[in-house]
Amino acid sequence: MSDQNAEMTFIAKVFVCCGICALVVVGALAKADPVGNERQSSYELMSADTKAMQDDPLLNPANFAVLDGRALWQEATGTNKIACAACHGEAKVSMKGVAASFPKLSTSRTGGRSLLNLGGRINQCRTEHQGAAPLALESKPLLSLSAFVSTQSKGMPITVERHASNAAHLEAGERLFNLRLGQLNLSCAQCHAERPGQKLAGNLIPQAHPTAYPIYRLEWQSVGSLERRLRNCLTGVRAEPFAFGSKELLELELFLAWRARGMPLESPGVRP
Amino acid sequence: MGKTSRTLVTMPASAKKGDIIEIRIIVQHDMESGFRHTETGQRVPRDIIRDFLCTYNDIEVFRVELHPGMGANPMIIFTTVATESGTLEFKWTGDDGYASSTTSQLLVT
Repeated sequence: MSDQNAEMTFIAKVFVCCGICALVVVGALAKADPVGNERQSSYELMSADTKAMQDDPLLNPANFAVLDGRALWQEATGTNKIACAACHGEAKVSMKGVAASFPKLSTSRTGGRSLLNLGGRINQCRTEHQGAAPLALESKPLLSLSAFVSTQSKGMPITVERHASNAAHLEAGERLFNLRLGQLNLSCAQCHAERPGQKLAGNLIPQAHPTAYPIYRLEWQSVGSLERRLRNCLTGVRAEPFAFGSKELLELELFLAWRARGMPLESPGVRP
Repeated sequence: MGKTSRTLVTMPASAKKGDIIEIRIIVQHDMESGFRHTETGQRVPRDIIRDFLCTYNDIEVFRVELHPGMGANPMIIFTTVATESGTLEFKWTGDDGYASSTTSQLLVT
């Protein structure tokens, strides 16, 4: 609510002050999107202190979300009074590698196939199997469950691949990544594919690989999803951000995960 | 029952008598400053941890007063001298009836 407003204002200011100048100055140095081993997690851009905070479970504030998620995993809920653990058992075994495969197409009970991220898939399980109401997107319980499930894939490579079934979504995501948006008329690619490693205001521009979500962002003072982060960038370029759970954000998430395929997951990450 | 939350304590399990031991504690709390407003202009009430206390075999060895300027999930690092085997108790208290506590054992040789 108000904290997101504050973020928007702050980021908008940063972009207005420095974004245009920076891009104009370095415009001539634009290069192609890094691929393969040239790709780098934004972990590498962090200070030693912030790296240590992510690496040590006893310092990582996102670990509280993981612990909350573990408690929710074992809690019977919904009209069917079953816990996640009742079907899936030990998350360490059953959820290993699961988060690394999202977003993906999932078939609902009614037979419809839709693109879901991990949070969406958790909510599908809640409504279809537990008989519970879906958790609000970006709410603490959903982020906690996502963090708990994601951390079971820590260190495993992202396994999102291009299939006939997801190709249309992937292409839509790629189009969005390259689409100029907002009053500043900037695309994701102009910063994150063509100019990573250069500076935007005082900060190094990361390559924008979603390897650590959900993250504890020090600026947010809380855990947040990739969608929240994408909405930050959208307000930064003064575009109207897509809604949480919207088709556009999901397709962008899918493209970013595919672009980062093979890179190891770090969840739950800490970012400045 | 008032509000409570998760805590994590990092300290050695044993130490030599006279050693200085480092204790790192982190507590889960939003630390709502009381200065923020919602989109409709309502002030969000202050909800912070006010006080942290560490006792070593029931003797106070470290105390912190916390204020609204402090970030979420406050982490505090401090040291004490290992004098005798026993229990260190960590207590956090705050607004709206908030209270958390945990203990750690220390073996002094």
